[in-house]
Amino acid sequence: MLAQVLFGGLAVGSIYGLVALGFAVVFKATDVFNFAQGMFVVCGAFFAVTAVSVLKLPFGVAVMFIIGASALLGVVIHVLLIQPLSGRPMLSVIMLTIALSIVLRALIEMFYGSQGRPLNTPLPSGVFVIGNLRISQLHLTAMLVSWICMAGFGAFFKFTSVGLLMRATADGHEAAVVSGINVNVMNRLAWAIGSVLAAIGGVFLGQLQIVSTELESIGLLALPAVVIGGMQSIPGAIVGGILVGLIEQLAATYISPKSSDIVIYGLLLLILMVRPWGLFGQKELGRV
Amino acid sequence: MKKPPRICLTLTSAAVTGLLALSATAQEAPQDGVYKDRIDWGVQMDMSGPTAEAQSTWVKGFQDYMRKVNEAGGIGGRKINVLAEDNKFNAAQDKIIYEKFVAQTPVLGISGMGSSGGQVALAPTIRAGKVPVVGTYTPTKALIEPASPLTYHGMCAYKPMAQTGVGYFTDTLKLKAPKVVTVSIESAGGKEYHDYVAEAVTKLGGTATLVTMKVTAVDVTPQALEIMNLKPDFIAIYGVNNTAVLTMKALAQYGVKIPAFAITYLAQPQIYAAMGAQAGANYYVATCLSPGGSDDTPGNKELSAFADKAGRGAIKEDINYAAGWIVGHMVGDRISQLGANVTRARLVESMGKGFTADTGGLTAPINYSTTDHGGPQVHKMISFDYATNKVKSHGGFKDFEKYIK
Repeated sequence: MLAQVLFGGLAVGSIYGLVALGFAVVFKATDVFNFAQGMFVVCGAFFAVTAVSVLKLPFGVAVMFIIGASALLGVVIHVLLIQPLSGRPMLSVIMLTIALSIVLRALIEMFYGSQGRPLNTPLPSGVFVIGNLRISQLHLTAMLVSWICMAGFGAFFKFTSVGLLMRATADGHEAAVVSGINVNVMNRLAWAIGSVLAAIGGVFLGQLQIVSTELESIGLLALPAVVIGGMQSIPGAIVGGILVGLIEQLAATYISPKSSDIVIYGLLLLILMVRPWGLFGQKELGRV
Repeated sequence: MKKPPRICLTLTSAAVTGLLALSATAQEAPQDGVYKDRIDWGVQMDMSGPTAEAQSTWVKGFQDYMRKVNEAGGIGGRKINVLAEDNKFNAAQDKIIYEKFVAQTPVLGISGMGSSGGQVALAPTIRAGKVPVVGTYTPTKALIEPASPLTYHGMCAYKPMAQTGVGYFTDTLKLKAPKVVTVSIESAGGKEYHDYVAEAVTKLGGTATLVTMKVTAVDVTPQALEIMNLKPDFIAIYGVNNTAVLTMKALAQYGVKIPAFAITYLAQPQIYAAMGAQAGANYYVATCLSPGGSDDTPGNKELSAFADKAGRGAIKEDINYAAGWIVGHMVGDRISQLGANVTRARLVESMGKGFTADTGGLTAPINYSTTDHGGPQVHKMISFDYATNKVKSHGGFKDFEKYIK
């Protein structure tokens, strides 16, 4: 039973980790605490519905469509909303992301109606049986895709020149500008990556249940994940996501489903009090 | 014979015209939302909040029935003008809308009111007021018990729903002491529903256990494992779309084929589609009304034909669409009974004496007596036939009357 619960937690946690990674990339690059990340998950799921059910695109093309549409969404939001607020107090930008989330929800409900939509992709949906362990192929796929994405983006940031420029921009905007880096392009790229990662999470969440704007609340579980892992830390976001997934499943199994909220947000409070920079974040030092 | 003077004729014709005009205006009651050519009727439902998916479909069903009435010339020559307001599933918003419907843009009556919080908060005001609430979407004791001539429930109730599901599975599976699990979201409503299930099961000498999950659950492995440990004969499901989809999918993943019945609200095409044929094969719904296209009753044929014509083919199988349509039907019939002189007071008086709503077979006849305004009581079981892609009824309402005690 424990192995089964751990597998479920790992699979769901990997999706949370993916969404949290997108959140961390945006925060690290642009210092924006994006409360609309949950709606990016929803947008991704609806892009999938559009591609698969409405346009009936072949799955490979549908995947490209989802990635392209969500990247474009991230870029457009940065250009139209985030960039003009550059340098404004953090509270203004936070309010903007909250408003953005409400607007996106309303737009989706206007275009698609408030009816939930089923999402049936050709992704495998059967079960592997190994001893007493039953492994859902969809969960396994979600887990593997999440890990591949996380590894891919990790490698991108570490080994590519664009990734290096993004890291340099995140570490110091002024220094990046002085060095001739086009900071706005880097920031747009960060928003595109954040949106794409959330969208991939949305595709899996939409297929696990029903595509509706209610997926937002699940997408927002990325927030405790990044705070626990460390807001400035890419690996921290991933580990935080997986931790949230595991805690959710273990608490639901051994205490009660409701208790998972207490344990997750209790841990978040503890981290904020004891180690506010998160498990993998670094304490910021400033000169007085 | 001497001809009457011209002035007398003129005066007489003016008097007749004046009297006619007076009698026509006497039949208007703008303060009640009744005009010469139209009647305003209010609907307050969640159209953008957490339950918008189900409730906005209900509103479409209600509006479509009234469109049908209007296309046929209206009621007594008056069109029914539906004023649908969004309460966002918020009790405070319900209060604002109710006050608006009472005086600001007066309506003859109100339907829907799909937020139980709003109903409970407004119950004393509604009961002390003059505007009837006909065909509520959510049952609350505060509004329905004791029966008031101002309030009428219009959707399936949880107790007969539980009795029907338990009775049907106990009979069809030939059980002596059924062992049942109620899968529910963590909510007061879920606990109440489980109590009804447990009551019905206990009467049959069986046992019922409650297994809960979060509304926003993504993976229900713990619940599926618990169900497998409990080895129930069948399952009762209470919650949202996600509750039904995740439960049935998780059980299918473990190769478990335990039949389950869900509450009426969970009979929606998108749920059947999201479950898929394997998981959905064991999924039933206890319902007091028939979704569009599920049988050949006159009421269902009429609903299906209009939905297809209005471009609602995709949602006609949604139980909420039928529920809205049925309440529209009930409201239309009650207004028709009043003849030309339509007022809130006359409507309340007429309904208060008790009436039976005939929905052409979409439900069993709904009896509202002077003491019981609980709405549809007789339920039946439906499921989705993946081979024909249609909802299937497992008998008529008459076959299930025996389960309602």
